[in-house]
Amino acid sequence: MNTIVPAIGFGIVTASILAVAGVGFTLQFGVTNILNLAYGDIMTAAAFVAYLVTRAGLSVWLALVAGAAFGSMFSVLLNRCIYTPFVRRGTRLFAMIIVTIAVSLMVQNGLLAIFGANFFSLKMPRPASVHFAGMVFTTVQLVIIAIAVAAMLLIHLLLRYTKLGKAMRATAADPDLARNCGIATDRVIDLAWAISGALCGLAGVILVMNVTAFTDTTGSQFLIPIVAVAVLGGIGQPYGAMLGALVIGITSEVAAAIFNPEYKDVVAFVILVIVLLARPQGILSEVATRKEVAA
Amino acid sequence: MRLAVTALAAALAVLSVAACSSSGGGSSPPSTLVVGEFNPFTGPDAAFGPEMVGGCIPAIRLINANGGVLGHQMSCVQEDTRGDPADAVPAAQKMMATETSLVGVLGPSSDEALATVPLLNTGHVPMFVDTGQAAFDHSTYNYFWRITPADDVKGYAMALWAHAAGYTRAAAVFGNDAGAQSDVPTLVGAFTKLGGTIVYNKPFALDQSSYRSEVESILATHPQVIFTEVDPQTGATFLSELQQLHGLLPVIGTEVSLQAPWLKAVNGAIGAGSMAKYFEGMQPYAPTSGPAWQTYNKALLASKSQVPQPGQWSSDPYSMTYYDAVNVMALAMLAAHSTNPAVFDKDVMAVTEPGSGKTVVTSFAAGKAALAAGKQIQYLGAGGPIVFNQWHNSTGAFEAAKYVSGNVDLVGSVSAAQIAALNR
Repeated sequence: MNTIVPAIGFGIVTASILAVAGVGFTLQFGVTNILNLAYGDIMTAAAFVAYLVTRAGLSVWLALVAGAAFGSMFSVLLNRCIYTPFVRRGTRLFAMIIVTIAVSLMVQNGLLAIFGANFFSLKMPRPASVHFAGMVFTTVQLVIIAIAVAAMLLIHLLLRYTKLGKAMRATAADPDLARNCGIATDRVIDLAWAISGALCGLAGVILVMNVTAFTDTTGSQFLIPIVAVAVLGGIGQPYGAMLGALVIGITSEVAAAIFNPEYKDVVAFVILVIVLLARPQGILSEVATRKEVAA
Repeated sequence: MRLAVTALAAALAVLSVAACSSSGGGSSPPSTLVVGEFNPFTGPDAAFGPEMVGGCIPAIRLINANGGVLGHQMSCVQEDTRGDPADAVPAAQKMMATETSLVGVLGPSSDEALATVPLLNTGHVPMFVDTGQAAFDHSTYNYFWRITPADDVKGYAMALWAHAAGYTRAAAVFGNDAGAQSDVPTLVGAFTKLGGTIVYNKPFALDQSSYRSEVESILATHPQVIFTEVDPQTGATFLSELQQLHGLLPVIGTEVSLQAPWLKAVNGAIGAGSMAKYFEGMQPYAPTSGPAWQTYNKALLASKSQVPQPGQWSSDPYSMTYYDAVNVMALAMLAAHSTNPAVFDKDVMAVTEPGSGKTVVTSFAAGKAALAAGKQIQYLGAGGPIVFNQWHNSTGAFEAAKYVSGNVDLVGSVSAAQIAALNR
């Protein structure tokens, strides 16, 4: 019991990182129908941008903004220059996954060529510890939780209360119908890439703020839990991804505390399998059943 | 047609007789004795081979410069195993079939050892392996010799170092990969044998975003020291979270933690001051000083034409042990007065084990002179003393090092005798 309460606290931190990354990933798929497996590598690239910013003597706050901006721009360009031409040629989902894997390898090896096979750390002040309700956080982790909450709130406001959000939801549900209703779906897709890319970049930076040392493969190693979060929540469902992040983040940390840390991922994935057996479309799902991925 | 066939057969018969008389003739020059460099030169572990060349070539150079062995010159021949048993087995068979003057091999490595050690042993080929596999800790192969420490031996060295520092409660933080886990049984056994208790021992899933729950679990067991072998990212995350939650504890790592990527990652995560204060790593003892090393290094640097960038192997413990292995084989041949492996193999032990009245030699030339003078010798290698146990394993010594101001500083050592005593 002594270790479970702190583990829940640590799980909230892990869930915060997973939520930012998972919401971006699932939003990208929901609106564009592209399962972008280069997502983890774009996270890493954004982390390297943040690293360069802190190396230049600028603050980690600016590094967060730079990482998000890079993720956003890179994702838009990636879609425009690589993914869209394939989509226009009628490339199906499975072939698109292979294209995204190719992009993943290119980004990863590009980073390797530029930065070398080494480990890097963001320059930031050493965090203090904060005790709260039997849980222990560092100031950096509190910042990560705050960033995640703010990002989730903004995404909620965007999707619920703005025209763009409604257009994105409409495009996600049925792009042809949305286009026929006068929605500029190409523009909506661009904006979806920009927003999800910003979340991707932000997730990359907060991930490396938490792990403290990173290399060219750090983001891609984190991709599997991100995909799990998206699938658990119902792929294409931002709210589902938030819930999925909490489930996977907390169960994996509690499992590490009370069972064997070797199996922390296993426990999370056992829960994923059980949930999917009961609800194959994920916890929340409107879109997933209509998407090709469910077929 | 029949005439042509008959003529051809006659010509072949004449050539065969000529060849036989040539190979058996007493006036022909002595054959060159071959040492096979039996390791990967291509494939994923292609880096192993050149490291071996960096040891074999300088040894051969000095042996030949000092008159060779029983009138024979020696040479190193590359035998590429490609790091794959499927390629290594036919390579071993071909080597044994075609190299009629083969007196021994350097290798095999872990990639191909399980498949080829029995084969080489059956072929009576002395092998100085570089595999670290624990499967050979109690080897009964007569022709098997291991100078480099086995992977699991570092567990003994870590336990001894912690015991010497007065620690009695330790946590074992090792990755769930096979390499790291191979250290754990000997570490736990040795530390317990020395009176200590391993209070936490659970394999870590690598490269997670957080290890805070693991840190809490470890702290609940109140360890005084942490033994570890994890990859750089895991090490950095785990130790920085330990630092944040509790403050660091003394850490004793394996040689993996003394490699540049690990040091950089963890140093960046916990800070240089904490690194210097709390961290120590254990690695095989490979002195870059002393007469044996100086002889090796001089010969290595003079071998530029055969060893590209020879300076890169100056402080390489594996290159040093390959150099030593060739010298040991050559001295064993001299001691046995035979180049027949079946005869001189037993003398490998004789020229390396310490003993009263033995002359300690640090080079082939000195060993050859001492043997010629009728003395018994103990060869002291560039990589340190070689003390084989009954399973033909020489565990060697380990050194402890700290990372201070960007440099790996040696702070002490654990002797081969201490490890051997614990390994009984």
